[in-house]
Amino acid sequence: MVSSPLVRYLLRRLGVSALLIVGVTLVTFVLTNLVPGDPVAANLGQRAAENAETVAAYRAHYGLDRPLPVQYATYLGNLLQGDLGESQQTHRPVLVDLQSAVPATLEIAIGAIVLSVLIGVGFGVVAAVRRGRLADSALRLVSLVGISVPTFWLALVAFYVFSFQLDLAPGSGRLAPATTPPPHVTGLYTLDALLAGEWETFGDALAHLMLPTLVLTLYTVGLLTRFTRSAVLEVLEQDYVRSARAKGLPGRTVLFRYVLRAAMVPILTVVGLAFGALLSGTVLVEEIFSWPGVGSYAYQAASHLDLPAVMGVGLFVGIVYLVINLIVDLLYGAIDPRVRVT
Amino acid sequence: MFGASRPVALVAAAAAVALAVAACGSGASGGGGSGPTLVIDSTFDLKTVDPGREYELTGQMLTHGMYETLLTFTGDDLTTPAPGLASSYELSPDAKTLTLPLAQGRVFSDGSPVTADDVVFSLQRVSGMKGNPSFLLDGVTVAKADDTTVVLTSAEPNAALPFILPNPALSVVNSKVVTANGGTTDDKDGAEKFLNTTSAGSGPYTLKSLDVASQAVLTKNAAYNGPAKPAYDNIVIRNVQAATQALNVQKGDSQVALDLSGDQVSGLDQGELTVTSGASAYTIFLFLNQGADISTTTSNAQYVSAVKKAIDYPGLLQVAGTGSVQPASMIPTMIAGSLPAAEVPKPDPAGAAAALAASGVSGQPPKLAYPSDFTLLGLSFQTLAERLQSQLAAAGITVELAPAPVATELDNYRNGKEEIGLWYWGPDFPDPSNYLAFAPDGLIGKRANWPASAAPDIDSAAKAAAAAVDPAERAGLYQEFQRSLNAGGPFIPLVQPATNVVTAKSVTGAAYNPIWTLDLGSVGVAGGQ
Repeated sequence: MVSSPLVRYLLRRLGVSALLIVGVTLVTFVLTNLVPGDPVAANLGQRAAENAETVAAYRAHYGLDRPLPVQYATYLGNLLQGDLGESQQTHRPVLVDLQSAVPATLEIAIGAIVLSVLIGVGFGVVAAVRRGRLADSALRLVSLVGISVPTFWLALVAFYVFSFQLDLAPGSGRLAPATTPPPHVTGLYTLDALLAGEWETFGDALAHLMLPTLVLTLYTVGLLTRFTRSAVLEVLEQDYVRSARAKGLPGRTVLFRYVLRAAMVPILTVVGLAFGALLSGTVLVEEIFSWPGVGSYAYQAASHLDLPAVMGVGLFVGIVYLVINLIVDLLYGAIDPRVRVT
Repeated sequence: MFGASRPVALVAAAAAVALAVAACGSGASGGGGSGPTLVIDSTFDLKTVDPGREYELTGQMLTHGMYETLLTFTGDDLTTPAPGLASSYELSPDAKTLTLPLAQGRVFSDGSPVTADDVVFSLQRVSGMKGNPSFLLDGVTVAKADDTTVVLTSAEPNAALPFILPNPALSVVNSKVVTANGGTTDDKDGAEKFLNTTSAGSGPYTLKSLDVASQAVLTKNAAYNGPAKPAYDNIVIRNVQAATQALNVQKGDSQVALDLSGDQVSGLDQGELTVTSGASAYTIFLFLNQGADISTTTSNAQYVSAVKKAIDYPGLLQVAGTGSVQPASMIPTMIAGSLPAAEVPKPDPAGAAAALAASGVSGQPPKLAYPSDFTLLGLSFQTLAERLQSQLAAAGITVELAPAPVATELDNYRNGKEEIGLWYWGPDFPDPSNYLAFAPDGLIGKRANWPASAAPDIDSAAKAAAAAVDPAERAGLYQEFQRSLNAGGPFIPLVQPATNVVTAKSVTGAAYNPIWTLDLGSVGVAGGQ
């Protein structure tokens, strides 16, 4: 028997997550097959689609000639062995495609979320403690702009201004055309270049990373600034904060030990959701910066009724949210003893 | 008051570091290339570079750069097949046998000679794998006459064969290498994975790396001994959206942009860049379904005539942009059998009104179906459909727009369910026989529910053209077929959209070819090399 409550909790969550994953695959499979269209028409050329032998070979290759329940059962069986099927678009295993696309997205998502937390939470705290003053108004304006400006438009403008006009940022893609990608370890070019000691490649990858990352950061900063401000303001009104101040504790101690800690629970929720959204694909930003990430892959897959790829992306997104929710829930316990697993 | 200066300083420092790194990094245009590198930006439709399986525009361009075909075309001239790996060709008088002596001394990238066995294996592999391009050799058998001659035999007269063979899907691969890596001549073939990492051809470039989602890198084939003069050590072909392509090529981040629309091209500084515009080989057309069970309106001959006369064709050209042309027939202007510009359909509002009145149609307006998310060479089908709707409305013809994503609408189109359809046709090969698809009971004829029995005269004209062998006679008969199609068919050719190839001044020889877009082996550096 497992005695630790935390381990029991984790095992229970993992069990529920496994069921949810199966649910995600079922919903994705059903929805994809409800779309009025034939993958054969979407993926075979006009002439090939008229040839019965070619069509039969295509359907047999992708298992489309079997009844839908059998297709789904086969998918689940293969999934248990780590096989996500073969993409009809790239003719590669979906797992291989995701191993290429996920690190690309992860690289900008991690950068964006780290910057967003640093800046957004900082801005939110400053706005709250300076409530009603010029700094508050200015930061609320920044937040409003961040949330209101369409990210794809911002990406286009940022690319035009910083790359084309000012030449402060490199062109599109993950690396300059003449730069060879570093040896694959994690798929994160910056990290892989560091591991290989390729400093020039590292600099190039980092330079290409910055603009899309900053574009994505602006929206999340806007979101986090608003939430942090609101959460901090709510805590500032609490009696225990007033008591702490009345006892003469330094303002910085009250802010960081009492206020921010209590405000972190709702902030963490938003950070988790924002990180999930960044990881599940930022299609238009990826398209503008020619960034071969999950968003672009998902868009291409959906456009061509590429069922295995759509299923793979659905599975990935489902796992991302499950893992993030689990981490956020565990962090709740670390921050707030009242919700700690005992 | 709470002290907030430290977090603010932290945030400011983080932002400053981020911006500083971005600024410093902008100079890192990368290293690693020792000679000239050409960067081409293109919107990918790439799935594979296995020549026997690819049949997409990007795949055609890449395989044409890495492999060679028996026959080819020079520049943008699609009227005369030129020697490739075959030094010449001879078509028998009955157009059933094509004899191809091989050019001597040609080698693959590993230095081994190109043999007749390689040719036979390559073409049989395309046929046997049952992939997208297999139809190109339907009814054709390939055999080795001797060590230096290959013979293609067709069950039916096939005067188009010399025009089909230049298709990059029919490239010759190194049979020993491909066989050793899973290649076969049936549907068990498993060489695609290998060919997506290593090319096995005799073309001017070889495959260095490939990511079908983002970029392909080709490198000069050191063993190449053909007629082209590859000028670049490396060619990087990147998947970039059109808006970003325009910025990249102006900034010098790329040297070639392939997907800019007429509007985007008009905003470029042509002192710094070379813009080559011309009509593409795509024909955008409208068809009206002839199945009375689909629509009693669109199957009404007078209604079809009214629609043909109501369209303001010059107005559509304005939408399509500079360089676009109005084709006089379904066969585009650069292919034999097309009709001269003097015969383009003209708007005739009075005739349209009279035909509409004579049709007697009433009731629910027909639906105009089109792929609303599809853009061909920068021309949006959504825009085109809206303009058509307004033009028809001006003539008193009401149609209801029925947009749908291309992936789902294709099914309706191919199953003949659309009342009015707005689609396009690109040539599989530049021969008029490819346009027999628009004959009654042809590939597209069936989608319009247009049987041979409904138009026996047009059917006869199509069959006469199909049976002809002599080039001049063929061209004339195909023109007659097109005239009869214009007069009594359910298809209306609308626009050949423009293609724009934008290059840096340092680039030469980047002529657009409708089959493989760019001949990478001919793209050179201004001033030599």
